Amino acid sequence: MLNYIVRCLFQTVVLLFILSILLFALVNLAPGGPLAGQGRSRQIRPEKVQILKRQFGLDKPLPTQYLIWLVGNDWMMVDVDGDGANESYGTRLGILRGDFGFSYRTRQPVLEEIGQRLPNTALLMTVTLLVGIIVAIPIGIISAIRQYSTFDITVTTLSFAGQAIPEFFLGLLLILIFYAWLKNPITGEPLLPSGGMTSLGVSGLALGDRLVHLILPVVTGALGWIAWYSRFLRSSMLEVVNKDYLRTARAKGLPNWMVLYKHALRNALIPLITMLAIDLPTIFGGAVFVETLFSWPGMGRLYFTAAVDRDYPVLLAILIMGAAAIILSSLLADILYSFLDPRVRYD
Amino acid sequence: MFSLLKKVVPILVTGLLIFSLFACSPATTAEEGIVVVIPEDPPSFNPAIMDAGYDSLVMELVMLGLADIDASGNPFPELAAELPTAENGGVVIDEENGTMDVTWNLRTDVKWSDGTPVTSDDVLFTYNAIIDPAYGTWIPGIDYIENVEQVDADTVIVHYNAIFPGYITQFGGELIVIWPAHYCDATQGFSAWDCARTPLSNGPYLLEEWVNGDHMTFVRNPDFYEKGKPEIAKITVQIVPDEAVRKTMLINGDADLDMWTTEPVINDLKDNPNVVVSLSPNNRWVFRLFFNLAAKGTTDPVATPHPILSNVDVRRAIRMAINVDTISKEFFFGYAKPAWTEFFREPYVCTNIARPAFDPEGAKAMLEAAGWKDTDGDGIRECQGCGTAEDGYKMEMEFITYGEYGEALELSQQLIAEMLGNIGIKMNISVVEGSVMWAASEDGGIEQNGNFDIDIYDDGYAGIDPTDFIYGYYHSASATPDYGTNYGRWMNAEFDTLLDESYTLDTAARQENFCKMAEILEAELPEALLFTAVNADAHSVRLQNVQSSTNDLVTWNAKDWTLAK
Repeated sequence: MLNYIVRCLFQTVVLLFILSILLFALVNLAPGGPLAGQGRSRQIRPEKVQILKRQFGLDKPLPTQYLIWLVGNDWMMVDVDGDGANESYGTRLGILRGDFGFSYRTRQPVLEEIGQRLPNTALLMTVTLLVGIIVAIPIGIISAIRQYSTFDITVTTLSFAGQAIPEFFLGLLLILIFYAWLKNPITGEPLLPSGGMTSLGVSGLALGDRLVHLILPVVTGALGWIAWYSRFLRSSMLEVVNKDYLRTARAKGLPNWMVLYKHALRNALIPLITMLAIDLPTIFGGAVFVETLFSWPGMGRLYFTAAVDRDYPVLLAILIMGAAAIILSSLLADILYSFLDPRVRYD
Repeated sequence: MFSLLKKVVPILVTGLLIFSLFACSPATTAEEGIVVVIPEDPPSFNPAIMDAGYDSLVMELVMLGLADIDASGNPFPELAAELPTAENGGVVIDEENGTMDVTWNLRTDVKWSDGTPVTSDDVLFTYNAIIDPAYGTWIPGIDYIENVEQVDADTVIVHYNAIFPGYITQFGGELIVIWPAHYCDATQGFSAWDCARTPLSNGPYLLEEWVNGDHMTFVRNPDFYEKGKPEIAKITVQIVPDEAVRKTMLINGDADLDMWTTEPVINDLKDNPNVVVSLSPNNRWVFRLFFNLAAKGTTDPVATPHPILSNVDVRRAIRMAINVDTISKEFFFGYAKPAWTEFFREPYVCTNIARPAFDPEGAKAMLEAAGWKDTDGDGIRECQGCGTAEDGYKMEMEFITYGEYGEALELSQQLIAEMLGNIGIKMNISVVEGSVMWAASEDGGIEQNGNFDIDIYDDGYAGIDPTDFIYGYYHSASATPDYGTNYGRWMNAEFDTLLDESYTLDTAARQENFCKMAEILEAELPEALLFTAVNADAHSVRLQNVQSSTNDLVTWNAKDWTLAK
């Protein structure tokens, strides 16, 4: 197993290197660019374009830009004042040394930008995923063991609806109901806040306030997960409930709950857990629609803004981190599988 | 299991609702101040770098420039004791050499929030930071400055190597402020210094807190130089990306101000008793058609003239076929106002150009006369002796706009295409990203490479001086790719001369020149101006003295805002 993990980690490094080239090229070679007008400006004056090119390092050939992005430029002389002479060493360290550059938009270090948003997204998505799983598992089980019952048909219908309803529509609907229409009978304030992580003016932990602010975004985000995971678990359960070993367990006289939970569910959960491991990167990637609707300051919004503004350093940092997370979570899924399923061996 | 679920779910839902009753409710009460909602974080407090609008919005709360412009277009001093003019000796022009000196006397009662007085050191520091070749930036007119001379602690003289009509707001307006020399770290550079995120205030408010992506809190500056102002103790700028949510918050009373209100939202709010929409007296953003006078994909209108658009009668026929009033009514709820000349805003209004009539029949006749006829009955005209293309050449063109503006512009584009289709011009519409449309030529920019036939988008000049804006769009020098925004590659020597001569402080001469320029533009029609988008900001009824301004962000007069009792 250890050999397998080491081998996979080595492959991950190679894969990430190839991905870094591809992502850098794709982002930079896409039509348009960051000098096409910033903010309200429909276009930037040529004088300013020259300054920005130099400050952003866009005045160099693309392979050089990639090299600097990867390993920095503190080992090479650069022209910082545009006089044509390279007069001092650069200050970039490169992503291999943890320097993802600075945001074109805010001129702040990219890692600082991401560091401000990542915990918020991790909180929202972790709670969303947990709620999704906690609700989906019993629904999936009941649907399977009561196949074609009213409950199963209802849940199946709702699952399709849950997967089909766009998050922006559901979110707006929930805001309308719980923020605009329903009022707190004691204070007269909206029953639930329209967005944000906390109420304005609230500082410190304020657990209650934070939980209240989580309700609508979590419900909006979790519905899709519930629909997806419950359908998945239902199928897995249906596959195992008619297996011979379950018939044997029943024949041995085991109580039904023990047959279901000890023998059926354990086996049915294996593919679900694999699926879950692969879905883990979404915890870091965030959800653009949910974060936008509920004013949640997370990674999804940061990514969206960076993409619209052509903020390449932020965009590339999120993409490469996302790629790393997906590769590592696939590795995690493989490892988990070997633990959960005795038939799987990597040695 | 099912029965367990039936018990647990109602308990869970009820519990959550009860929990929400006692948890903190949104705190936006009158005594705590007001809440301004904006869609995204400002990049910084220095709009000279990015000009996102949100940076100007918060900058106006905490920092001052030498002078600013009010909603009616009148300049007023901020850090300056008075506006320098030729009459008061503040501006001295050397006619012989074509140069000028502007003397700025600063107020002596303005302090930074750490108690340090604002002096000419700060003005000089700001200028030097801007022109720093490594970390500075370019601002309008900076190339016209020879140097800035520090006379004493309260006086600087800006020596210009040319006549620059926009001098009044060069170190003010909506983009530039004076930065504290003793606080900002010059080695970090103007474009990235930390003081642009944690500014030292000399304006009406102090930045108390900035929670990235969530909110910013500003509290009253107790040492603001205008005693008794501002009245409102606290302004919270909350980041709410979704327009529908911002509107609902405004209606619900959880927000007091939503900036840059769009026409559909204005229409939704017009009968709401809790909300007022402040409209700017002037509008800046003019939707216009850009005609490419060079063949698509080229940039030389002489060597490779456009087979259709190089004839001015065709351009005129296109304008005649567009019903601006219908577009305004259908997609802009009647708030879009017709515009047909660049010089429609105070202080330079030219009334010598009549509004063009909507006349599709006249347009058809004009196209017939120009040699564009539909001989094969397919509804699309062909060149029949048009003189600009081979006979049989179809009157079919690409019509581009940018997607970020949203539905109203895209629907307008579609309707215009339909209107032009009615007179026999087939328009193939496409929508692209702004970052592709306006990119530099080496980045594949559509405009700079001339890869279009007709474009439509909105633009206009900030402030009260149109010269630089007009220079960018119409001067021959701006027709070279990447050296300007004369995307249509229209060139007219007489126009160039008039524009060059308009770089003067003689307002009467400027007015005369501008109106002559307006006549040339009307005769040659390099662009067809259609209508202006509204400049509006919606606010709660209790928030008073808000005045939307096309010359600045709505917070330009935040010090004067009050709350109704």
